[in-house]
Amino acid sequence: MKFLTWFKTKWKNEPLFSTAIALIIMIILQTFVLGFDYDSFGSWFESWTNNWINILRNNAGIGIIALGMTFVIMTGGIDLAVGSTLVATGAFTMILLDTGTKGILSMLGMTGIPAFILTIIIVLILGYLLGALIGVTITKGNVPPFIVTLGAMLIFRSVTQHFMQGYNPKVPMEFLEIASFRFGNYMIMPIIYWAVIAYILYYVSKRTTFGRQIIAVGSNERAAKLSGVNVNKVKLRVYALMGVLVSIAAIIQVSRVGSMDFSNAGRGMEMDAIAAAVVGGTSMAGGRGFVLGTVYGMLIIAVMNNLLNLFGVPPFLREAFKGLIVIGAVLLQRKEKTS
Amino acid sequence: MLVEMKNIVKSFGSNHVLKDVSFSIKGGEICALLGENGAGKSTLMNILGGVFKQDSGSISADEELIEFNVPADSQEAGIAFIHQELNLINDLPIYENMFLGREKKNKRGSLDLEGMLKETESMFEKMNVDLDPRRMVSDLDASYKQIVEICRAMMTNASIIIMDEPTSSLTEQETARVFEMMKKLKDENVGIIFISHKLNEVLEVCDRYVVLRDGSLVAEGRVNEVITNELARFIVGYDVRTESLRREKNLGEEILRVDGFSSNSIFRDINFSIRAGEIVGVTGLLGDGRSELFQAIFGAVPVTSGKIYLNGDLVSIKSTTQAIEAGIAYLPRNRKENGIIKDLNIIENASIVTWSRFSKRGVINARKHEAVYEEQRKSLRIKMDKHTDRITSLSGGNQQKVVLAKWLAANPKLLILDNPTQGVDVGAKEDIYDIIMKLADEDIAIVVLSSEAQEIIRLCDRAIVMYHGVIQGEIAGENMNEHNIMNLATGGVWTKEGREIH
Repeated sequence: MKFLTWFKTKWKNEPLFSTAIALIIMIILQTFVLGFDYDSFGSWFESWTNNWINILRNNAGIGIIALGMTFVIMTGGIDLAVGSTLVATGAFTMILLDTGTKGILSMLGMTGIPAFILTIIIVLILGYLLGALIGVTITKGNVPPFIVTLGAMLIFRSVTQHFMQGYNPKVPMEFLEIASFRFGNYMIMPIIYWAVIAYILYYVSKRTTFGRQIIAVGSNERAAKLSGVNVNKVKLRVYALMGVLVSIAAIIQVSRVGSMDFSNAGRGMEMDAIAAAVVGGTSMAGGRGFVLGTVYGMLIIAVMNNLLNLFGVPPFLREAFKGLIVIGAVLLQRKEKTS
Repeated sequence: MLVEMKNIVKSFGSNHVLKDVSFSIKGGEICALLGENGAGKSTLMNILGGVFKQDSGSISADEELIEFNVPADSQEAGIAFIHQELNLINDLPIYENMFLGREKKNKRGSLDLEGMLKETESMFEKMNVDLDPRRMVSDLDASYKQIVEICRAMMTNASIIIMDEPTSSLTEQETARVFEMMKKLKDENVGIIFISHKLNEVLEVCDRYVVLRDGSLVAEGRVNEVITNELARFIVGYDVRTESLRREKNLGEEILRVDGFSSNSIFRDINFSIRAGEIVGVTGLLGDGRSELFQAIFGAVPVTSGKIYLNGDLVSIKSTTQAIEAGIAYLPRNRKENGIIKDLNIIENASIVTWSRFSKRGVINARKHEAVYEEQRKSLRIKMDKHTDRITSLSGGNQQKVVLAKWLAANPKLLILDNPTQGVDVGAKEDIYDIIMKLADEDIAIVVLSSEAQEIIRLCDRAIVMYHGVIQGEIAGENMNEHNIMNLATGGVWTKEGREIH
């Protein structure tokens, strides 16, 4: 009885409680589906761990982007351009690193670790600038974020595709270590990046003026302005942060496979990122959002994909399940609010 | 029609909101329903409107028992409920709004726009409303929106209309317009239940009053047999001051001087100054530009020309952030839209202005913050449970104190209060007045913008009256009375000799 009342109050008052419960249930389900048909606990555990590492690694890039998307949505905005920004910053990474005749850094005689570090810095700055460009257009031009990022989505990809036409840069093998370095048998670098960034952004959202200002701007822009919050600056910084996070995802992607398909990479990524944020309790109306919730949301979607895979559900049907999860999650949160 | 509510009891959980209340209203009378926030007025009216169901007790219309399960039942019985937040769609013309939810359709199933327009026109004619039904609702001022709602209620053949604080956001002129409408309804034999915190309005327009306190009926009677003081005492349960709070004091240095301030056509050539410890009232009717003027001083509205001197130094304020740094604070009107941020909790709302001051490299020092807030909570007497509760869980008066707290945390030298007692009940209002007087003693220069002449007269050392964006006159001492304020606010000229020139 005591447990039931505890559970009920938690369910009602803790916004992330239901999301966490849903995640735990899916993990238990997944564990059972994987089965226990192994010789020893050791081999079962290894297989279970490997499965999880795969899930996490495959979703690290989009998971990082979803974190930035959470902040963007919390200000009452949206960023449809993340997929195209990913392609643009990814292409730039490859141009800088190219070991062939056109590679910028190799032309300047830079190779190895200094070249890698310089590349990362330049690409992060590029991501920042692309995001800031979107932010400036939204704030100074007073154009709705949906429109600006829709336009940027088309522009960034199209320009990238044009310049990368018939050009196939070769990324040095050593660069791939950034994502592919192994700890023993485990390739977990992307997971580490994701976890570190999630922690930093969690801290930012909870403990910094910037984090609180994001909520203020998204919840009541007028009141925030009249309280001395520099609304435009907050928005600009949110989109710039989004750009930086996308460029990190781009570096991870390039260093995982050494190449990128500029016409298809990142397509639909904005929707996946929005879905993760929404499943995690972020309100599309702005003001309400949870960094941790977005991590849960990303994991729920990822585990579900894994489950559908294990169950052998046909690929075309899997998207439908994703859709159901998104709507279901919001319905669940709605219930909490009114009861 | 005579509607009687007998022995109504209603609780929400362990909270007994209504304890055996009986209330009645008949056609052709205007009855004021009075009480502090939380006294049970809204609950009683929501029961009559079919929103809630009573735990026990009965409702009857013309001696016939009726039962309301949903709001539609109540409307069916001829009761219309005009909520404080009006239910009008801004982006539709008036005549379509009149038929929201019960649109007229023609044979082919599409909207019968001509029919709706015609019916609206004839209703406006009957009610003597001079308004083009084709206008968009977004173009109307608050009083006409109220009037459109009333006409809509009339079109549903309502015989009882509940009006929940219809005048809380209206200027005096607009209020007069709504009152005229109410009197016309009375002549049409419609009964009106008028919920308001403004007691002088109650005396002006109502026939009867009913006072609720803590869920019980504590007083009722005829309006022409009471005075505001008595009503106020019934409402709060103890004697309420009405005397002037103004007192002699030694004013300090000049804090703010505004020189030739103009912004397009909103306000023009504004000159005035305020000294430390002084309370200056600024008033006028709708369109006087006072809110915009002080928002401009606060950096929230751009100006076309003019200079501001703070402590004698010429300053340029282009953003609210700069204004705060310069020591200016602005408590905005319409708390819900401009003041509170509902996704932040109480302490966060109380500290948003000072976040940057209490943080190191962007990281907020929570402990420091709590200490500052705790001190303020005590001195402002904010009634609340936990720091981390939702801001919306507080009453209007306490919300306003939280908004005030966020400004006081910034230690302003100049405090601009725009309608500080809007939507605040009688008790909390006096609390806020006390706070204002105390702040003036601490040598803060205070500007009170208000549409209530009484508020200005009781509180301020002198009053600036604006008319269509210019300062029409300035009055102080004996001359600061309702008559002179109204005269200036309507464009008249006041001279020391007491002559009036129009």
